[in-house]
Amino acid sequence: MEVALRKIQRPDPYLDIADVEADAELMLLHLGPQHPSTHGVFRIDLYLDGEIIVKAVPFPGYLHRGVEKLCERLTFVQQTPVVDKHDYVAPMTSEQAINMAFEALLKVEVPRRARYLRSIFAEMQRIASHLLWLGTFTLDLGGAMGGGTTLFMHCFRERETILDLFEEVTGARFHYNTHTIGGNRHDLTAGWAAKVKSAMDLIESRLSEYVSMSYENRIFRQRTSGVGVLDGALALELGVSGPILRASGVDHDLRRDAPFHAYDEVEVKVATATEGDCLARTKVRVEELRESIRLVRLFLDGLPEGPINGGKPIKLAGQYKVNTGQVYVGIETPRGELGTYVIAGGEGGASPYRLKFRAPSLHALSTLPYVLPGATLSDCVAILGSLDPIMGEVDR
Amino acid sequence: MGVDKPRTSLPLFDEGGRSYEHPLYDKLLSMPGLSVGVAPLDRLLTWGLTNSLWVFPMATSCCGIELMAAAASRVDLDRMGTFYRGTPRQGDVMVVAGTITVKMAPRVKRLWEQMPEPKWAIAMGSCAISGDFYRDLYPVVPGIDTFLPVDVYIPGCPPNPESLMAGLLELAAKIRSEQGKPLTAPVQKTGGLVATKPSIARIGDPERDPSLSDQQMEAASRAAESPVARPAEELEMPPVPETAPGTVAAPPTFAPELVELFQAHGVVDFPKDAPPVVPLARHVALARALVERGYKQLVYVVASHWLAGKGRSGNVAGGPEHHEVAYGLRTVGPKRGAEGGSKLAWWSVRVEAGGAAPTLAHVIAGADWQEREQWDLVGVRFSGHPDLRRLMMPDDWSGHPLRKDYPADAHTAPWR
Amino acid sequence: MSALLRGFVYGLLVVNAVLLTSAVNIWFERKFSARMQSRVGPTRVGPLGLLQPFADVAKLMSKEDTVPASGNRVLFTAAPLLATVCALAAAAVVPFTPDVVAADLDVGVLWVLAVGSITTIAIFMAGWASNNKFALLGGMRSIAQAVSYEVPLVLSAMVPVVLSGTMSLSGIVTWQSEHLWIAAWPLIPGLPAFVIFFLAMTAEANRIPFDIPEAESELVAGVTTEYSGMKFALFYVGEYAHTLVGSAIASALFLGGWSGPMAATMPWLGLVYMVVKTLFLFFMITWVRWSLVRFRSDQLLAICWKWLVPISVGLVLVAALWVELVPGVH
Repeated sequence: MEVALRKIQRPDPYLDIADVEADAELMLLHLGPQHPSTHGVFRIDLYLDGEIIVKAVPFPGYLHRGVEKLCERLTFVQQTPVVDKHDYVAPMTSEQAINMAFEALLKVEVPRRARYLRSIFAEMQRIASHLLWLGTFTLDLGGAMGGGTTLFMHCFRERETILDLFEEVTGARFHYNTHTIGGNRHDLTAGWAAKVKSAMDLIESRLSEYVSMSYENRIFRQRTSGVGVLDGALALELGVSGPILRASGVDHDLRRDAPFHAYDEVEVKVATATEGDCLARTKVRVEELRESIRLVRLFLDGLPEGPINGGKPIKLAGQYKVNTGQVYVGIETPRGELGTYVIAGGEGGASPYRLKFRAPSLHALSTLPYVLPGATLSDCVAILGSLDPIMGEVDR
Repeated sequence: MGVDKPRTSLPLFDEGGRSYEHPLYDKLLSMPGLSVGVAPLDRLLTWGLTNSLWVFPMATSCCGIELMAAAASRVDLDRMGTFYRGTPRQGDVMVVAGTITVKMAPRVKRLWEQMPEPKWAIAMGSCAISGDFYRDLYPVVPGIDTFLPVDVYIPGCPPNPESLMAGLLELAAKIRSEQGKPLTAPVQKTGGLVATKPSIARIGDPERDPSLSDQQMEAASRAAESPVARPAEELEMPPVPETAPGTVAAPPTFAPELVELFQAHGVVDFPKDAPPVVPLARHVALARALVERGYKQLVYVVASHWLAGKGRSGNVAGGPEHHEVAYGLRTVGPKRGAEGGSKLAWWSVRVEAGGAAPTLAHVIAGADWQEREQWDLVGVRFSGHPDLRRLMMPDDWSGHPLRKDYPADAHTAPWR
Repeated sequence: MSALLRGFVYGLLVVNAVLLTSAVNIWFERKFSARMQSRVGPTRVGPLGLLQPFADVAKLMSKEDTVPASGNRVLFTAAPLLATVCALAAAAVVPFTPDVVAADLDVGVLWVLAVGSITTIAIFMAGWASNNKFALLGGMRSIAQAVSYEVPLVLSAMVPVVLSGTMSLSGIVTWQSEHLWIAAWPLIPGLPAFVIFFLAMTAEANRIPFDIPEAESELVAGVTTEYSGMKFALFYVGEYAHTLVGSAIASALFLGGWSGPMAATMPWLGLVYMVVKTLFLFFMITWVRWSLVRFRSDQLLAICWKWLVPISVGLVLVAALWVELVPGVH
């Protein structure tokens, strides 16, 4: 029966539970908002037939902090530290996304060195983020008191090396506030590039170990293969992007298809898979780790000299003013397309009238009502983990 | 055992101030002569407590990541016998790591009540301590000490893992200092979410600690009045430099065939810096046509609220109160040289006050959640939507916070 | 009278030894897993953090003893007791040396299997009495798992019984000291039977990769979700005691128990052999636990019914044929 249920291509997210209730005695299980595997505060109401999920109703919003309202009150230069707290696993790319939107709105040019720096930071952030994801995903599969923890600890150990490197440049472990309109605020310290290269060598040499502990492991494969299958057409319709979309067979990566930063100067190899299950998502992310390591080296080698900020050298709250125009800029973050939609014309022109973040994690979570029915409770945890949701970004 | 009755044993209190019987204490103390053993026993139990603080992680946001990092290899909280338990029944310390929202706070309170005595709470990070810069915003609780008795505050945004360890050691010292003293009831009383006065005075709070200077008070209240600390008008600004185009991310350009498609759907004006406005009646048909032409990925649905007299600058005049809903769809496809790549098509519709935009959820499934979010936050209605519930705010929330007439700091009781 | 006294003293010794070893094993597991994860583990309590489990117990003793308001108080309280007592009761028949055995039952193997399977009832009691959905799911999983894994457990334990012709654990060990370890000879029913027994025993003790009744990442803390204080400590220690006693029984059944070079002349050496073998098996379980992720419940049952049960039936058959065809087995 389970296999038959899995074959259902697109379960009905609006299923009326009363229709099913007549045939089966269902149990309503609230998974969350506080649960070890919900990656933050997130709730799913699961209607279970035994352990098989009949219907899943997700409830985000437990971390809704009203950031979009806050952004309407802040001037353009004040926004960067706020967005750090969105995607708190990848603050670098969050900062870049909002500053690029402001640059497009204010027509500020970014110098080439700053674009290279942004690319380096983005790729290193992707490595850190994917490492954290791999660790927490195996934690979901293996439990807090078992094998899952081991890979989790190893991934965190490697992630710390990247955080140290960021701390050396920006002074912070993960709310960096290093990007600003027109470029970056911190230039590299002496000898930083060499340290990055040795860190990349270290992570690359240990990747095979992680692979052997994750998807080369037979139990791991059994737990993830064929679980949470998401077909590409549905993923596109739901606005899913990033590794999840690529694991569903859609060859789409904004770094290559709509280049930003310095990605038009290099060739980005995009990892894809066709299965669309948790295993494919794991493989795609591990491939992206390899690719990011390559790109970091490439960008470091080609790093040009020059200014790192094309905006004004001083920083004042009401420095930039614009009263007309709307822009949307989306960039590829570790979780997919993070976009910022800005409508100009707020308070005195110095702040946006309306600012909306297009959060890739929210789109990823919107697949749950389609993917979960037919899976078991154990699969639910695996599927949720494989979507890599960051609640700060989902709820904003 | 009631509270009124004089008793020899140490009174232990639960959250509601009711005393509860502890099997071990009460048994031992009821035995004659054994009360001399209480002091060593107390020492033993305190030794156990301070060396085995199991954390119940109430991790919501950024600080949660540092909470995880604190258990990881570099800091390794297990050195001091601390590890994380997922169930409140087995936790001794609730570490509240991250922002607590109005929607989450009742759950936190309930989890706290589910923890067995003796228990402690740590506020980790500035959001848990005071609400950080979200403190004046509508959904955020300004510090967890409005509803929880906090023992240790760990400042930082987020605090380093080392700081968390220092905080736990601080808590152990606090437990040790209370050794031998009779336990007292926690400050918190029953009645669910009754707000108590925060132990840290809020900025601009008239009841703020009087030890602050008058200048500080004045500055604080000025800051509270004007959200933009330094208004742009007052600053002497150098002029905005004219920059060369090319390196700036360009707004979507419309290919000739797309212009024809939009014109066929009633679009007359193609502004350079804003999406073209599509008549409401043709909007669903346009979306369907775009999907057929390969614009298959839903990118965003953004609604904005405009009060009477205000209007989208540029092409449309103000007029009465209305909403504008912008949509974006993308093509996907690998870029090879100059060919291919991802193109964005954007447009918007104008919804008069009291009106509704026809939903796109039947055309493109992802519009479901996006429209729910916009309805929830901005208050624009979508007709024909299959499931128009709130997405972010609690179901019983009144009002739509991103409307321009909604005050940003409109906290609901009991948080203010 | 003397038999009664002897039983009492041995019982006291065995219970204390098992509980103490469990505590040390908890410490060992925390240190060992920490080293696997490039951490150091407990360091602050006692030398090398050795007193950490005792600090945990002292802490748990002082915690409030909560019972869910809508749960079943009697079953809720009885469950952790039953779980621990069953784990300890199985230790009664474990032969530590030729002479040191608390109760040398003629049907020792049967006793071990019967008492061990009562643990499942205790776990389900805990899950049901908690009136918590996560705990209930854990209890249900526990029943499904036990019903399946009891079968290969019993069948693989039959291999040494058939080969040695006795159901007494002491008898089996004596047979092995006269022949060879059953895991080594006869190789064909012996070694696979040992592996199956070991796997099924790991599953019975709810250790990863078979820990679906507890499954922290899915069921919060599984059946122990509602347990606090000493009741949780009993479950915690009971789990380790169960693993430890299971390891002891596996080493008695398949690895020759106290038998080894010079053990016949020096009985204390037998005790050393027994302890070393038991701890080695425990170490193996720990190693596996901190290396693998867990199975899903349906996969767990599929492994049992598709592989372990048919193979163990075949192994019993081979053992019977071996006894019939090879002279000098009995």
